[in-house]
Amino acid sequence: MVSAIFILAAALAAAFLLGLLKDEQRGVAYAITLLALAFMTWISADWTWAFAMDGAASVDIFTAGTEPPFAINLRVGLAEAVLTLIISLTALLSALAMKDALLALGRRAMAVLLVATLAFCGIVLTRDIFNLFVFFELAAISTGGLILLSDDERALAAGFKYLIVSQVISILLLIGIIFAYHATGTLNIDGMADAAQSILPGSRQAFMLAFFLMFMALVAELKPFPANGWALDIYESAHPAYSAIFSAAGGAAALYAVDKLLLVGGTAWLPAATGIGVVTFVGANLLALPQTNDRRLLGYSSVAQIGLILTVLGQRDVLGDLTGFVALGLLLAHSVAKAGLYWLSSLVAGRELSAWAALRGHPLMIFAFATFLCLLVGLPPFPGFYAKWELARVLAAEGRIALLALILFGALIEATYLFRWFGYTIKRDKPAEDIACASGNVIAICVAAVTGWVLGYLWGDAANVMLGRGNLLLALPLLFALAFLLLEWLPAWTKNMLAIAGLVGYFALTWGDYDPLRLIFFVIFLIGGAVILLASFHAHGRRVGFYPAAMLMYAGMTMLIEATDTFGFFAAWEILTVGSYFLILRGKHSEPHALSYLVFSLGGAFLILAGFALAASGAPLGVSPRLTFALSELAQVAQPLAPWVFLLLAIGFMTKTAAIGLHIWLPGAHAEAETDVSPMVSGILLKAGLFGLFILLMSMGKQQLYGIELTYVMLWIGAITALLGNLMAIFQEDAKRLLAYSSIGQMGYALFGLALMNHLGWLMALMFVINHYIYKSMLFLSVGGVAKRTGTRAMYQMGGLIALMPLSFIAVLIGIIAMSGVPPLSGFGGRWIFYNAILESEYRLPMVVIFLSGPIAFLYLFRLIHTIFLGQLKDEHRKLKEAPFWIVLPQMIYVVLLLAFAVVPGIALRRVDEYMNQFFPTGGLNWSGLNISSPYGYWDPIAIMIIVGCIFMTLFLWLLFVNRKAQKVKQFNIVFAAERPYRPETTHFAWNFFAPYRKALGFLVQPFVTQFWGAITDTLHTGADIARRFYTGNGQTYAIHLLGFVVAVYLFARGI
Amino acid sequence: MIAQIAMATGFALILIGLYGALTNHNLLRMIVAFTIADTGVNIVIVAVGYMAGRTAPILDAAVPAAEAAQRIIDPVPQALVLTAIVIGLGITALMLAYAYKLYQKKRTLDIGKLTELKW
Repeated sequence: MVSAIFILAAALAAAFLLGLLKDEQRGVAYAITLLALAFMTWISADWTWAFAMDGAASVDIFTAGTEPPFAINLRVGLAEAVLTLIISLTALLSALAMKDALLALGRRAMAVLLVATLAFCGIVLTRDIFNLFVFFELAAISTGGLILLSDDERALAAGFKYLIVSQVISILLLIGIIFAYHATGTLNIDGMADAAQSILPGSRQAFMLAFFLMFMALVAELKPFPANGWALDIYESAHPAYSAIFSAAGGAAALYAVDKLLLVGGTAWLPAATGIGVVTFVGANLLALPQTNDRRLLGYSSVAQIGLILTVLGQRDVLGDLTGFVALGLLLAHSVAKAGLYWLSSLVAGRELSAWAALRGHPLMIFAFATFLCLLVGLPPFPGFYAKWELARVLAAEGRIALLALILFGALIEATYLFRWFGYTIKRDKPAEDIACASGNVIAICVAAVTGWVLGYLWGDAANVMLGRGNLLLALPLLFALAFLLLEWLPAWTKNMLAIAGLVGYFALTWGDYDPLRLIFFVIFLIGGAVILLASFHAHGRRVGFYPAAMLMYAGMTMLIEATDTFGFFAAWEILTVGSYFLILRGKHSEPHALSYLVFSLGGAFLILAGFALAASGAPLGVSPRLTFALSELAQVAQPLAPWVFLLLAIGFMTKTAAIGLHIWLPGAHAEAETDVSPMVSGILLKAGLFGLFILLMSMGKQQLYGIELTYVMLWIGAITALLGNLMAIFQEDAKRLLAYSSIGQMGYALFGLALMNHLGWLMALMFVINHYIYKSMLFLSVGGVAKRTGTRAMYQMGGLIALMPLSFIAVLIGIIAMSGVPPLSGFGGRWIFYNAILESEYRLPMVVIFLSGPIAFLYLFRLIHTIFLGQLKDEHRKLKEAPFWIVLPQMIYVVLLLAFAVVPGIALRRVDEYMNQFFPTGGLNWSGLNISSPYGYWDPIAIMIIVGCIFMTLFLWLLFVNRKAQKVKQFNIVFAAERPYRPETTHFAWNFFAPYRKALGFLVQPFVTQFWGAITDTLHTGADIARRFYTGNGQTYAIHLLGFVVAVYLFARGI
Repeated sequence: MIAQIAMATGFALILIGLYGALTNHNLLRMIVAFTIADTGVNIVIVAVGYMAGRTAPILDAAVPAAEAAQRIIDPVPQALVLTAIVIGLGITALMLAYAYKLYQKKRTLDIGKLTELKW
């Protein structure tokens, strides 16, 4: 092993060596710089390996041959090695990325880069407080130099502002150091920590003040909100490759310095760190919302992330041994992602966020971009995800709910602006200028992306070893989905075959493991997914990006069924959310809708996270090992926590089922998605929410909060959702939107059934799960096929397609018969069980509401047939053909399925009915042969099918008979006498078809909910836009901010 | 007594310097003000290390090594001051270079006019 002091020595030696070169020998100088940085990286990597793999103990290096306090000592342990690795690796890659700038400025710039790296590494390694100051000053001076690498002239002013602030910081730090030395007699941090224990009460106050000054000086290096205007200016104007170092390496070093200093201050200072950290995290994220400059946005995000890690350090008292796992996980995720994003930003010519659309057409760069965003947001399987989970678990267990709420709120905002940016990249117009693919930059970006995934694996492994959680990157479904990233070069049909084979194969291998209830969901997720994927054979080319996203969603759903503990469940939930987001984003106009889907889903996911964390905190001792919490243990959560857990989880799941109030994302997301994606997200994905609700109700049952029966509230939500969802559906002109609103209504029914909390209610909810999957997938496919052929989704622009697209017509006809719940199809079975369930329950008023929504469904369903397939054929549609084969095929399969399920519902329901006896022993159905009976009557599917068939045939034959002499009237048999109207659709009878109803009931479908959420986002944006004017751009003001911040923290700390 | 005077002077200089740096709009005046504050810091450091009635920490014939612990003042703050002075010089030089460059590019030394980067 090479001594870690060579990390510093190498940089210093190389910097001196550069001084000996001639100014023209820039290539040689550059080679020396790279070599030195590579050497430093290698030493750090070597030490990291030794500590992590071989479990070596940390090593002290005595610089002057004597022990502290008589000489400065350095220490290298696992944390130090990892941090110096990240610092020197970032510097190395940044040196590659800014090759041109370095060569242009010559050896002096390279020497400064080496010194900066040395300074950051020194901050990490040293155990001497004054030495820490020296390294900080070195970092400040070299930063002052490196900012000038930028082409941006404004960087000059930014550098000066930075120097002003660092002067103030160094004054604070020096005074603090000298008085702390006076009180403790040592400059060694560990010695100071020991001495601080035994300081006499008389000088204690003075020591605390000295410590406060040192603490504030180092905290100021973390760019705390709001005393950080100077840092944002640097982030915006410096060379992006230097911003990468400033954010990744500088942030890491300063955080570690604060961490070391907190040893001296002891636990009394942890709340201060937490407070500053969380204010920074939330504040910086809020102010990032209205940013339009990519680098400044990244600056705000850097500030926020560092704030979050400071919060974690402040929670050391409760996190204990986990502090390192959580803080390092967040820090490494931040460093890798932020460095990667800054390197990416130097490829993009424009500075506004939408200029990143230039990345499109470079799948590798898009992949890297997505990786970095997921790293930052802490999505699985990246380290931030594990960190987030443990942090939430511990905070909830310690009752620090407010802190947890703030953190989750900040994280949601961060996810919002980051993924909004991703949406711009994927969907906005591509700028004329392509990206500048400099090889050094691309290498740096790729290394960062790969590092991100490796870190994901390492953190999963650590979580597995330390905490007994499964490593997500070893989960077969997830690996299968990720494998499609490597198969992107294959044609779409090959990938489609692989995907279908994977889904079916995995089902065949594992279906025996599940109880009947899970099995039904499992069938819908996997086999149902495979059937919809048949429609994807229609796609041509390679369809880059579709399969990884789709399979990620299916992997998430598979893991959801497989999950036995809350961690696995939550991980699966986030995976399916991310996958479906990428999938929905593929639609042509789906940018805003995909974002609102993601924000609502992540918001819901965070509520679920909080709910699970809270549940684990309330588990009675001995019931569960604290670390893992089985889903079934939700049943044992004690009062008074239980209703709160229930509330959080229920709202979380209801965001996915789009219950009223949380539904505004659904219509856009489902309607704007691609033809074969709409059935996936509607027919299948919505069921994930229902599955969650099933799990929740199965384990927790009825809960009361302040005397209110929560399931009763859910019952009302279900009823109102059904009513309003259906009402909104009848006023749609767009066929896919109509179906999307109808899904809201249908999910309302299912929610209602679940909330009835009786045997038949649940059975009916399950019936809805199956039925809704079949007919909604079918309808979305047929309507999608029609839209594909006609080029429009507005129904009034269609008509008379029955003869041209007979198969689609049959599918829609069968679909709406099934959905409306009339005999003989399975929808009727659902209704029958439903009415039985209602008769059993004591709730009358919500029942009336749900009855009302039944006929409303007829109103919109009828339009699908009436407006699209009947009536006059449009002139421009005369030559249309039937929808493509691969889109029709699954529809025909669904037709067969619907008929089969209508005749023998027992194949799916009987076993579930028995399974539910364990929850509701009474009230089950009686299955004798093909006849099903309940206390209120019986249902004989076959008899009904025969009777309805007979009636239909009789009437049909009768119709043919009386119409045998009728003359066909073609469209132009009648005479048009008017001029061509200005807006043709207003004269079309199908436009605003239900205008009278709108007059009567329109007040019910006013977009109040949309306005409500819109008002919240507007308030946040406007508020942030006003608040950011606090950063006036004046360097003096920034220094005053800093001093004011110090005073404010002092007063706050005194007050506490 | 001397230590207290020095300490008070030091803090006074720091406050004067900070006041000057935060109220003067001219870059050069700000830099000068910061050097005043730096000097104040250095005086404070030295004053902290001062012990009444002792001599300089130079070990020679007058102060043999064996008695040094009783006879000399604390040498550490003095060593720190040396380092701090050097670093202060570096920062001041860099700030001056910046001011020079800024004047070249913008023809102004007013900090209030260097605000293109904000929000």
